[in-house]
Amino acid sequence: MSAPTTEIRTQWTTSFTDELTTGTWRAAIPVHAYKPSPCHVACPVSNGMPGWIKAIGEGAYQQAWLSLVDTNPFPATTGRVCHHPCESECNRTVLEGAVGINGLEHFLGDQALAAGWALPPAGESTGKRVAVVGAGPAGLSCAYHLRRLGYDVTVLESREKPGGLLRYGIPEYRLTEEVVDKEIQRIVDLGVEIRTNAPVADPESLERLRGEYDAVFLAVGAQRAKRLGHLDDAGGPARVIDGLEYLRRSSAGEDLGLGQRVVVIGGGSAAIDVARTARRQGKSVTLMSLETRNIMPAQDEEVFEALEEGVTLVDGAMAASATLTEECLNLECTLVTLDTEAPVGVLRPMPVEGSGFAVEADSVIMAIGQDPDLTAFAAVPAAGGGTIQVDMASGATGLPGVFAGGDVASQYRYVSAAIGAGRRAAWGIAASLGHPSAEVLPHLDLKQAVQKEEINAFYFPPAERTEKERTGAAERLLGFAEVAKAFSVDQAAHESARCMSCGLCVECDNCFVFCPDTAIKKDADRPEHYAILEQYCKGCGLCVAECPRGAVHLEAVAR
Amino acid sequence: MIDQLKYEIEEKPVFCSGHNACPGCGEALAIRYILNTMGSNTIAVIPPSCIAIISGHQPYSSMRIPTYQTTLEASAASATGMKRSLIRQGRGDVNILVIAGDGGTYDIGIQSLSGAAERNEDMVYVCLDNEGYMNTGSQKSGSTPYLASTSSTPGGKPTEKKDIAEIMAAHRVPYVATATIGYPDDLARKVAKARDMKGMRFIVCLTPCLAGWGIPDDAAVRVSRLAVETGFFPLYEVEDGEHYTINRGHTGLPVERYLETQRRFKHLDPDQIATLQGQVEHKWALLQARTKLECEPHPEYLTR
Ligand SMILES: Cc1cc2nc3c(=O)[nH]c(=O)nc-3n(C[C@H](O)[C@H](O)[C@H](O)COP(=O)(O)OP(=O)(O)OC[C@H]3O[C@@H](n4cnc5c(N)ncnc54)[C@H](O)[C@@H]3O)c2cc1C
Ligand SMILES: Cc1ncc(C[n+]2csc(CCOP(=O)(O)OP(=O)(O)O)c2C)c(N)n1
Ligand code: SF4
Ligand code: SF4
Ligand code: SF4
Ligand SMILES: [Mg+2]
Repeated sequence: MSAPTTEIRTQWTTSFTDELTTGTWRAAIPVHAYKPSPCHVACPVSNGMPGWIKAIGEGAYQQAWLSLVDTNPFPATTGRVCHHPCESECNRTVLEGAVGINGLEHFLGDQALAAGWALPPAGESTGKRVAVVGAGPAGLSCAYHLRRLGYDVTVLESREKPGGLLRYGIPEYRLTEEVVDKEIQRIVDLGVEIRTNAPVADPESLERLRGEYDAVFLAVGAQRAKRLGHLDDAGGPARVIDGLEYLRRSSAGEDLGLGQRVVVIGGGSAAIDVARTARRQGKSVTLMSLETRNIMPAQDEEVFEALEEGVTLVDGAMAASATLTEECLNLECTLVTLDTEAPVGVLRPMPVEGSGFAVEADSVIMAIGQDPDLTAFAAVPAAGGGTIQVDMASGATGLPGVFAGGDVASQYRYVSAAIGAGRRAAWGIAASLGHPSAEVLPHLDLKQAVQKEEINAFYFPPAERTEKERTGAAERLLGFAEVAKAFSVDQAAHESARCMSCGLCVECDNCFVFCPDTAIKKDADRPEHYAILEQYCKGCGLCVAECPRGAVHLEAVAR
Repeated sequence: MIDQLKYEIEEKPVFCSGHNACPGCGEALAIRYILNTMGSNTIAVIPPSCIAIISGHQPYSSMRIPTYQTTLEASAASATGMKRSLIRQGRGDVNILVIAGDGGTYDIGIQSLSGAAERNEDMVYVCLDNEGYMNTGSQKSGSTPYLASTSSTPGGKPTEKKDIAEIMAAHRVPYVATATIGYPDDLARKVAKARDMKGMRFIVCLTPCLAGWGIPDDAAVRVSRLAVETGFFPLYEVEDGEHYTINRGHTGLPVERYLETQRRFKHLDPDQIATLQGQVEHKWALLQARTKLECEPHPEYLTR
């Protein structure tokens, strides 16, 4: 019997470990996938910040603008007046402060106006026609998106010019008519027909439109001013007037002869604009709002600028009654607290005992909000609170073929909200008309967005936020010139570089660099730019932790 | 304009996937940049340690270069012999690279290392410092920080961490550097610089150990950066034992931000944290002072 022999190796190591499989160890695997940024989710128009902001950084302004107008046809407008909820949610707030998204939008919007860039062309014709009622931001946004989806669009507007509150509400020192004109003209150039002086005044007109068109979008805004009866009764129409009417007539150059002492009542953007317009007319202005300054619906910076311009703020107060004397209207006022038990959206002031004080006014301007005028639209089911009831995702109303959006269908009354509602309704209308590639736009929740904890702050060296430059208060009061200036090219470059591109891979290679197993391969052929080598990845998650921006995620695997 | 951080590291394919390191291991990441920077004209010398495990179990190797597994005491001696033999064979251009743990460097291998440094033997010696004998169950080593809990010092280590960079600098070798995985570009640059020099080049690289330190699988990089930013482990270089350059260090971040990330420091009370903070401040001040100590070479003094 021969004993078993053992072969003696001449070379001890015969193979390399890359033949082996360590992928079986893992309980999770990284996936490179786009994730929405919180700014995008918070933007009522769903603007895709990381993409167009990056393009600004690369100096590709027109490409950036085209990406922006894919959602928002009014960047020069929103860049001036939007309340920018995107910035409130910006992940960069964990560092020095939000990216100046609104300023960048302003910058791009102005670049486009200066260069005369055209909007992307109308889509291939579907042969279908849609009527839009109201040429405010909601109606024009809907018309623009419908046009790009291939519909013939006719906009019916009751006033002599389109624009809605962009033209007749928001004053020149914040948004010039020139900007509004130019941004609307681009939509007209796309083949949208706007008929002015064409009100849809009664239920029969709406019925006619339903017959003539494949769908109707109602975007008539909220035109009926809310009033305070006790002040109307005491002062009469000569001394108590409506804020919107005041703004409209002032912007047309009319002098309403209000006397020197003006009291403005309200706490929103409109009230602030009334007060600041009156200051520009040389009045002494007191602004009285139920809300205290910290909870006023107007934007912080607007209130700040109003105070700079010499408006006297009496916040947390109300004019409980008024008496007319020979010379003026005597307002008997009291401080108030707001009832915390009141339903959301309802202000229930409770007078603070013994806090009474008097204010003398030559006139009072009310800017306490508007309600839609629905007389012509009685056939459309209404919601509580005087608006039209709509499905938020598609804009569909309870009346077949009729859609609505903007101030007429919402209490969330902002320009961007109106533009977003118009866009969603366009897609909702297209989907309802069987468009081959349109669907009701999905609703995104902030929980789905890149969270602040997913940002790896190490990769973002401190960089101060850029604020828009503003003219000094004294100079501002000389007229209606614009207050805020667009960013310079340098400022825009700086501010765009501050954007961390949350959720959108920029091919920085960090995931590749930090893998201890070299289990990530660069792969230019894949849309996500990287491949995970499943044979090796142990699922440690270092690539995820070291991705600066939450563009790679760990997904659990069944074992 | 703001610099967008992007690592540009040139890698040669020496270190293989499929190795045995724990998921997320800081040591494996360091090995990737050390080997892939040294390149294939290199022979590695590796004493018993996690590094030896990562280098492969027979007949497999994770390193596409010859590797020699020596004893825990003898890395620098083995490297010395190999280099001298190569020179005799007319192959002195081949790099000799030691990759050893802290146990094998600060403690068990220090006599052979000190001798090789004294003789200025020609090698790149990298110590992967995970601050303990991790491969044998996380016992304390001469590198374990003061008060850190290990399996052999469960109540916290009663003595301070040895300062191996200073020990090596005191041998007046051509190059000493500290590095860590959170700054892979800095690590790769130092390895390349060492590779292209002659004589004893020594790099100590902090490599967080997940199990031994008690940190999650995805935290090694982050924790290594906190070590630097809190001043616990500054990154610096020393040339010829006296020319100091600080690359990165204390940013003013309290040391607690580093300690709180690790289970081995969980037992510390506020007084102990204050003591560690004091140590960090003192050593940081000392290091900064060293960078300012410039002294004209004496005309009679022979440099290497
Ligand atoms: C003074 C003021 C300042 C404001 N400032 C800001 C601000 O800074 N930022 C911000 O985000 N928001 C601001 N807002 C709110 C914002 O202007 C509105 O939310 C937004 O304009 C609503 O757009 P819309 O298209 O729904 O309605 P509108 O802009 O009101 O447009 C509706 C259009 O429909 C037309 N119309 C009405 N009825 C008919 C009919 N029966 N037939 C045909 N056409 C009709 C109207 O003439 C009008 O052109 C401000 C509002 C006011 C009043
Ligand atoms: C002289 C000697 N004593 C003890 C051992 C057992 N041993 C093998 S590996 C090791 C730990 C080495 O620790 P370190 O050098 O820090 O490397 P790490 O495992 O932490 O990477 C020990 C103690 C040995 N091989 N030789
Ligand atoms: S950093 Fe950029 S992508 Fe991220 S939330 Fe802010 S603006 Fe959006
Ligand atoms: S770093 Fe590498 S091993 Fe870890 S999860 Fe990512 S791909 Fe997998
Ligand atoms: S680490 Fe960089 S390359 Fe990798 S997914 Fe994130 S952004 Fe993209
Ligand atoms: Mg060790």
